[in-house]
Amino acid sequence: MSNLRSDDREQQYDEFVALLARHDLSIRRFVRFLLPSSDGVDDVVQETALECWKKFAEFQPERPDSTADEFIRWACVIARYKAMSWQRDRKRDRLVFREEVIDQLAQAALESLDRQDDERRAVESCLEQLPADQRRLVLSVHSPSESIARIAKETGENARRLYNRVNVLRTLLLNCVEKHLAGEASHG
Amino acid sequence: MDDSIRKLIFKAIDHTISPEDFDRLQDALEQDAEVRTAYLRAVHMSGTLEDLAGESVASEKVNAPVVRSNPNPKRQRGLFFSHVAPAWNWLAAAAVLLAVGGTAFWFGQRNQSSPAERSMVQTEASASPESRIAGHATLRRAVDLQWPADAVRRVEGDVLPNGLFAFNQGVAEIDFFCGATLIVEGPAELKIESDWSVRVLEGRLRAMVPPAARGFIVKAADSEIVDLGTEFALSVGNGNSQVEVIDGEIELRGGEFHEERLLTGDSRILAGEKADTSRLTDIPTASDMKRRHGLVAESRFNNWQTASRELRQRPDLIGYFTAAELSNERFLPNLATHGVASSAFLSGPVGRVSGRFGDLSSGLDFSRPGARLRMQVDGEFEAFTFACWTRIDSLDHRYNALFMGDGYENGEPHWQIRDDGRVMFSVMVDDSQEIRHFSELDRKVVQDAGLHRVYMTEPIWNSSMSGQWLHLAAVFDPARRIVMQYLNGQPVSQHEIVDKFLVTQLRIGPAEIGNWGQPFRDSPWFAVRNLNGTIDELAIFDAALTDGEIRALYEQGKPLGY
Repeated sequence: MSNLRSDDREQQYDEFVALLARHDLSIRRFVRFLLPSSDGVDDVVQETALECWKKFAEFQPERPDSTADEFIRWACVIARYKAMSWQRDRKRDRLVFREEVIDQLAQAALESLDRQDDERRAVESCLEQLPADQRRLVLSVHSPSESIARIAKETGENARRLYNRVNVLRTLLLNCVEKHLAGEASHG
Repeated sequence: MDDSIRKLIFKAIDHTISPEDFDRLQDALEQDAEVRTAYLRAVHMSGTLEDLAGESVASEKVNAPVVRSNPNPKRQRGLFFSHVAPAWNWLAAAAVLLAVGGTAFWFGQRNQSSPAERSMVQTEASASPESRIAGHATLRRAVDLQWPADAVRRVEGDVLPNGLFAFNQGVAEIDFFCGATLIVEGPAELKIESDWSVRVLEGRLRAMVPPAARGFIVKAADSEIVDLGTEFALSVGNGNSQVEVIDGEIELRGGEFHEERLLTGDSRILAGEKADTSRLTDIPTASDMKRRHGLVAESRFNNWQTASRELRQRPDLIGYFTAAELSNERFLPNLATHGVASSAFLSGPVGRVSGRFGDLSSGLDFSRPGARLRMQVDGEFEAFTFACWTRIDSLDHRYNALFMGDGYENGEPHWQIRDDGRVMFSVMVDDSQEIRHFSELDRKVVQDAGLHRVYMTEPIWNSSMSGQWLHLAAVFDPARRIVMQYLNGQPVSQHEIVDKFLVTQLRIGPAEIGNWGQPFRDSPWFAVRNLNGTIDELAIFDAALTDGEIRALYEQGKPLGY
C-alpha cells in the first residue's frame, strides 16, 4: 500500500470513528426498535458498524453541514437490513417481526429519532414524581438485581397483582411522557 | 388507544407474550400508526427505565439513594445508556479493525440477558435455546449390517440414543462418548444406557477402554463388567454368557463372581455353559475392522465406478459431474457423453475434500461464501431430474444452494435447502409478475418476484445428521404434472403441478452448483446461499426418472454403512 493510500485510509478512519462515536446511541435505539427484545441488539449493532465501515467509501454526504444527519440515515438503512436478516435467521426458535412490520417500524423510528433525548428526559422527570415504593416497583421489572417476586415476598402481596400494578404505573408514566412532550412542543 | 393493545405491548417488552398475541400485536403495528408510536415510546421508556434501574443499583452501593446519579463506569451497561459517551468502545474497536483489516472485531460489551428475563415473568419464549442432540455414542464404522424389519436403521456417523440398538448380521464399531469403543458382531442386541454403560442382550463383542474411560460398564446376565483398563471380549446368546480378558484387568460385580477381579487371559462363564466353540479372541480387533472396512469400501467404490461409467452413456443426461474427475484445477468436466452442459468452472474457494468412499473418492466443499461451480447449459428440455450426493455440515443460511439457475428466468430451476431442513425445488413460471400470496407454511403473506411455486419436502435434515452423506433427487415432470422429491432413494414428497404453475419449456442457462450467482442484481448486496457442506456426483437429466431409477442411483452410489 502506498503512503498516500494509507494516509487516506487513516483520515477516513478518523472520520468514521468520530461519526460512529457520536451516533452510536441513535443507531442502538433504532436497532432496538426493530427487534422484539433487546436480545440481539449488540449483534446487530456490531454487524451494522462493520458493514458501515466496509461501505464507508461509498458514503457521500450531499451537503457538508448535514453530514451528521445523513450519516445516521445512511447507517439506519444498513441497520434495518441487518435487523431484518438477524430476525430471518432466528425465525425458527423465537418470536420475530414480519418484514412488513420491520419496515413500518423503521420508518416510524427514523421519524422519532430527533425526539429521543426529549423523551428520555420526560421519562426521568415523570418517574421522579412517583412515590418511592411505586418507583421501586416499576423499576423492578427492569432491574438486574430486583424482581417482582422479591417484592411480593417482602410485602406478602400477590405477584400477579403486583405485575398488574406495574402495568398501571407504566401506562401512567407513558401518559405523563406524552403530556410533557406535547407541552414542550407548544412552548417551544 | 385500546387498552388490550397496550397490554400486549408490555407483554412483548417483558418477553411474556404468546405467539398468538404476538401475531395480534404485529397486525396492530402494521395497520395503525398510533400503535406504532405507542410501541416505540413504550420500548424507549423501558430502555430508559432499564438504564435508571441499573444506575440506582450502582448508586445504592455507594449509599446515594437517588434515581439519577453519576454513572458508575463499572456497572452493567444499559441499553440506552447515554451519560457516558461510548466513544472509547468505538475507538478501541476501530483500532482493532485497522489492525485486522476489517475481518473481525468486537464493539463494546455484550449485554447480559435483559433484566426482565430474570424477573418472575420469564417464559419459554425468552429462553435462548441451545441446540441439543440426545445420544450416548456414535456408530463409527459399519460393515455389512443387516437390520431386523422393525429396527431403526443406522448409518455411519449416526448418534445413538439410549435404548435398543440391534442388527442381524455384520459388524459395528461403536464409540461411546466416555471414550470406550465396542466392536460388535451380529446378531446383536444392545441396550445403550448412558455414556458409561451398556447392557448386552445378545452378541459377541470386544470392548476397548482407554484410561479416560476406565469404569465403563458392560452388563451381561446378572453381572456388571467394570473395565479397569484396556480390553476384554464378551459373548452373550442362547442363555449363555462368557467373558475373557484380552489385556489388562476387569472387575465383576453382582452375580456369582461378585467383586472378583480378572487379569489378562482369565475368563469366566457368567451364565449357562461354555457354548462358544470358537475362542472369544476371534472377534475382530480395531485394525481388523479398519482393514475389512477398507476392503468393503473399495469394492463399493469399484461397483459405483462401473455403474457410473454406464450412466454417462444415457442419451437424456444433460450434465454429470463427479468430484473424482477433477483433474484440472479450475475445470470439472461434464462426463455425460451426450450432455449439452458445459464443463463446470471452479470459482472462489471450492475445496476438494475426501468423499463418500473415504480417501478413495472426493467431494467438493462449498463452505466458504464465495465458493461456486459455474456452468452454462443451453437448450430446451421437457422434464428435469436432479440428483446428487451431499454431506451437509450445517444449514447456516436461510437458503442453502444445491443447484441454482442464475437469473431464475422462465423455465429455470432452483434447487436448495431451507434452514429448517426442507428441500425446495422450483421452476420459474412467469418472471414478469410481481406476486403476493399467503404462505400456509409460514402463515403470512409473502412477496415473490415472479410467478412460481416452491415445492417443499417436510424437514429432512437436522443437526444430528451433520456430516452424513445423503442422496437427494428432485423430478419435475410437466407431462404427468407431478413433482417428486427423494431422500436416499425413497420418495419424501409428491406435488401436483396445477394449471397456473405449469411450465413446459424448461431451460437452465447460466447456473451454479453449491451457490447462487446473481450477476444481474442492481446492488452490491448479494444473498448468501452457499451450501456449508460437500457435493459429489450431481446429475441432471432431461427426463423424469422413475422411482425405481432413483432408487437404483442411490443403491449403486451409496457409501459403506448405508
